[in-house]
Amino acid sequence: MINESKLYRVLRYVFLTAACMFVIIPIIPLVFMAFKTGTEYSSTSVLVPPKNWLNFYNFKYAIRVGNLGKALFNTAVILAISLTLQLMFTTMVSYVLHRFEFRGRKIIYTLFVLTMFIPVVTTQTVVFQIVYRMGLVNRMPSVILLYSGVNIVGIYIMFNQLNSIPKELDESALIDGASYFRIFGSIILPLMKPACTTLLIINGIGYYNDFYIPNLYLRKNVQTFTVALHKFFGNTATPFEIVAAAILLGIVPIMVVFLFLQRYIFYGLTGAVKS
Amino acid sequence: MVKTKGTKLFIFIFLFIPLIHLLVFSYIPIITNIYLSFTSYNGVNPPKWVGFRNYERLFTDPQYIKLFRNCLWYMLAAIPQLVFAFILAVFVNGKFKGINFFKGVLIVPYLLNGVIISTIFIIFFNNSGTLNSILRAIGLGGLAQQWLHNLRLVNPAIASISIWRYYGLNFLMFFGGLQAIPAELYEAAAMDGCTKFKEIRYISIPSIVHILFINVLLSISGSIQVFEIPYIMMNGANGTATPVIQIQQSAFAEGRVGFAAALSILVFIIVVIAVSLQRMFDKKGDISA
Repeated sequence: MINESKLYRVLRYVFLTAACMFVIIPIIPLVFMAFKTGTEYSSTSVLVPPKNWLNFYNFKYAIRVGNLGKALFNTAVILAISLTLQLMFTTMVSYVLHRFEFRGRKIIYTLFVLTMFIPVVTTQTVVFQIVYRMGLVNRMPSVILLYSGVNIVGIYIMFNQLNSIPKELDESALIDGASYFRIFGSIILPLMKPACTTLLIINGIGYYNDFYIPNLYLRKNVQTFTVALHKFFGNTATPFEIVAAAILLGIVPIMVVFLFLQRYIFYGLTGAVKS
Repeated sequence: MVKTKGTKLFIFIFLFIPLIHLLVFSYIPIITNIYLSFTSYNGVNPPKWVGFRNYERLFTDPQYIKLFRNCLWYMLAAIPQLVFAFILAVFVNGKFKGINFFKGVLIVPYLLNGVIISTIFIIFFNNSGTLNSILRAIGLGGLAQQWLHNLRLVNPAIASISIWRYYGLNFLMFFGGLQAIPAELYEAAAMDGCTKFKEIRYISIPSIVHILFINVLLSISGSIQVFEIPYIMMNGANGTATPVIQIQQSAFAEGRVGFAAALSILVFIIVVIAVSLQRMFDKKGDISA
């Protein structure tokens, strides 16, 4: 990038600043609202900042009534288990499909590829019945089960990494008498860390934010964070400044994670595109 | 790879659970759904064969045709969304002060969930909300509208939210594509006295045109599957229902599982067409071992 004229550089800052305003402006009234009192909310414009930035009443109320802490905990449990299972299965399937020639390999690979044609939303009429018969509806394992399947994007990410790990490495270990399990566990897996990070980031964000599946399978007893936030919102009796506070609290966890992992997230997301 | 006695067992152990999962939660459901779409099935009594009756209703009843018409708004919104994302990617691709700040802010919407985004935009489109307040403040109060209650405006209004929500994903894809262009190409162009604008026109755009195409098809298949925003914001009211909202309504609230299956299959077919075109274009798609 050598020949950036002055005009171009000015244009860049103007456009990027405008783009940031486009992102931030819709969020600002939500932030204001979360700190306003009930009367302030109904008497002031959404564009007016709250009088008292230290008014945490709405937040306390939201946490207590919405059971947000419990819901966040549930989401954490679901994410931890399903992401672990998914990562395990994805690396296993990818390793076998990438390194071994065996009868049926092509068919199995094709079966995984073709899932990209089957959107989740088009199968739930039947999947719900299956999960229902397993007795898992309204219980956490339902969502965990649905989240832990292997998807083709994951396989592509892993293949990309496996391409860069020489097969001679596996073979020499085999000659030294290591079992396949051992080769996979102590040689291949450690070398696949970057691909695993990418997969964890993509699906971690996706599952953390997912509303469709938990809303369908966890209607009673247990709720995830997104479903708990939604309950708030669907309840018209809740004053809207409380809803705003709850939603603002909903933004906090993902922003904290983002600030700590920004570099990895950006790398992971663009990396996935490349593969 | 060298074969030993344990090879087959190893392969079997590693593939068994994921394959069962694949069959039980993807293939058996979609095949069952094709069958159910030709039946009247309420989820309890045994399915009864009705031929193409479910599909006939979908293609003739205006209330169901409207579901797909609503999706067109989301496809339309994808055009400014892609243009915006592309320009962003071009500007961010380079070295300049504040790049990390801009990248950080610009990716925020992509990280937020549907409930949060719905709340933000209810505040945005409300009668005394952000948009109308801004319009009034800058003297354009005449344009202020009941955005979510005006039956003509509600669909374009909520479809436009998808620009805000999803441009980040397109931006990342374009950005990834631009980063993959070899630096020598730019250097050679610079030596020939190429300006930045010519460089974008003759190097950047042609190099990522296939990513643009993939993004267009992703938007089409995404538009047909829209669910969260109209469901959470409007509960599908005021004529904002989409095929997926209707699937959920028919299958789980009204017990018309056969009909919901037919609607699912229709969505499925549209996605199959979009994804097939995308795969044909995306040569990188078939990385094989």
